[in-house]
Amino acid sequence: MNSVVLMFALSSFLLQQDPRQIVEEAQRRAASQSQRYEGTLQVINAQKKITEKRWQYARIGSHGASKSILRFTAPAEVKGVALLVVNHPERASDQWMWTPNINRDRRIALQDRSSRFFATDFSFEDLEERDTNQFDYKLLGEETIDGAVCWKLQSTPKQSKVSQYSQSYVWIRKDNYVLMQIENYSKSELVRRARYSDLRNVQGIWTAHQVDMHDLKRDSHTILKTDKLQYNLPMKDEAFTLQALRRQQ
Amino acid sequence: MQILRFLVLIAATAPAAFAQTYTHRGFLETRGTFYPETALNDSARAVGESLFRYEGFYTRSNVLQFAGALDFRADTHRQVERGFKLSWQDREIQRPLAAVRRLSATYDRGPITLEAGKQFVRWGKTDIVTPTDRFAPRDFLTVVDNEFLAITAARLTYEKGANTIEAVWAPRFTPSRTPLADQRWARPLPQTATIRELTPAFPGGPQSGIRWNHAGAIEYEFSFFQGFNHLPSFEAEARFTGTGLEIDTQRFYPKMLMAGADVAVPTTYFTVKAEAAYFSSSDDRADEYALYVIQLERQTGEWFFVGGYAGDATTRRGTSTATFAPDRGLSKTILGRAGYTIDANRSVAFESAVRQNGDGLWLKGEYSQAFGQHWRATLNVTLIRGEIDDFLGQYRRNSHALVILRYSF
Repeated sequence: MNSVVLMFALSSFLLQQDPRQIVEEAQRRAASQSQRYEGTLQVINAQKKITEKRWQYARIGSHGASKSILRFTAPAEVKGVALLVVNHPERASDQWMWTPNINRDRRIALQDRSSRFFATDFSFEDLEERDTNQFDYKLLGEETIDGAVCWKLQSTPKQSKVSQYSQSYVWIRKDNYVLMQIENYSKSELVRRARYSDLRNVQGIWTAHQVDMHDLKRDSHTILKTDKLQYNLPMKDEAFTLQALRRQQ
Repeated sequence: MQILRFLVLIAATAPAAFAQTYTHRGFLETRGTFYPETALNDSARAVGESLFRYEGFYTRSNVLQFAGALDFRADTHRQVERGFKLSWQDREIQRPLAAVRRLSATYDRGPITLEAGKQFVRWGKTDIVTPTDRFAPRDFLTVVDNEFLAITAARLTYEKGANTIEAVWAPRFTPSRTPLADQRWARPLPQTATIRELTPAFPGGPQSGIRWNHAGAIEYEFSFFQGFNHLPSFEAEARFTGTGLEIDTQRFYPKMLMAGADVAVPTTYFTVKAEAAYFSSSDDRADEYALYVIQLERQTGEWFFVGGYAGDATTRRGTSTATFAPDRGLSKTILGRAGYTIDANRSVAFESAVRQNGDGLWLKGEYSQAFGQHWRATLNVTLIRGEIDDFLGQYRRNSHALVILRYSF
């Protein structure tokens, strides 16, 4: 009897929760004016062979209206290759890739965003920052991830949002609103899973310092570990333009 | 020598003195080219080359950055000069043994960027043939495996939102490097005549250009250039002497005016890119013509595809005896490029150019594999076929295999 009452109470509580509010609160808590880190990527293929890459990441602005530049620092042969992502609240981001050995930038077309980014398990689309207004959300319940109770939400892109993913499942921790896991589906097939771990409080923002992106089709993992992560550094808009992409080699 | 001292000083002291703001990269590359057939003017079947490149970037402050790069080369086929001098202008017939590849200062303030010095300037959007890329001379010693050369210039860029205006002024001309007369990538000269090449007539005076680029949902660009063609034309004067026929040849670089435009339109399945330019000249010896390219581009999964067509239309024939024009040589041609990423370390790529009249064919296949953090090996096989009068077909004895080993740092 007690359990029936508890289930009834829980379902009533879940119904009262607005999933969009949960996501917006998670974004509000993670918001910062800028961010910078150094990332180490380990690409582990299906045969367990490991390839290491490193990049520097800088972002100005926050969710939906941010701009970021990601520049490879290793291995030596891709040093200087960079990606500029300009996010827009109302539509998909604009992306350009700079290749120093041919001195040219190339726009990454929308239909090409499902491609893997530089042989990692991140696609170009995964490097966008998502704006809550481009998705519809549904609260599915609660699940535990790494011992933490999380809300499980279903996120579906609105028609205005062009995405390789037909839907995603998102797990957000209840105690601190930190994103713990995303599962991305193409039609009904699970294609990528991102797991967030090594949570640390940096300047008041709970931040995952490790992301494990699993490409289930290839059975390949990319583990991104962040180092020297800082928020709210002074940055200028001019450092996030096509000119800046070409300039900072 | 002052340039050399400056670069050596940067290379030697900067990492320690400016650890936070100095970055560098480079590589040592050794390549072996193997030709199954000898050519009429070249009996060599194997050519070995080595290149050491060092690039350094020093950011002094948020507004000022310096970039420098040096190349050192050696080879077995005398495509590289044997005497040591540090080249700045890249006007040598052979590749210089040591060259300043790049040396420039960039000043950046708000929407304005000014870069001055030896630098790379790339215009246009299409691949393989890029009609509006007028500030980009190349080293065409081995025609189908070419490399860009930097120019000495000042470049002012104003960027506001999605629009960029770029003005370029180049005070001194940098020509493209053409195949050596006694080697297989040059058209063989008649054995019955004595050929004498006179000192090239390099043009004086500056070159300039301006372009406006809009990077909205549809990306487009308009450009204008006035200067000289970096690809040479030739004049020849023949005379009979007591010992036979003597021909004096001289290369020259005709004046050129260019008006061009390009556009990139993303559609549901492909990105459509088009680029066109019209070239006129006050020099009667030069042709006047239009060059255009349309291509489709798509990246899907691990594949990357580019396919297109390049065409031209000549509106006036010049009086020069001959020209060396790989850009026009690849017109009236169907072009293709495809790449496949096997995994994080391995990739394959294919390129092709097929003349619409079937007189020329160029196919290239490449397999590349990285080993660890620093090493990469590449095997490239190139097949060239066609008629002797065709731009591609004239190199039909130059099909080759190329093995490249590179250590990057």
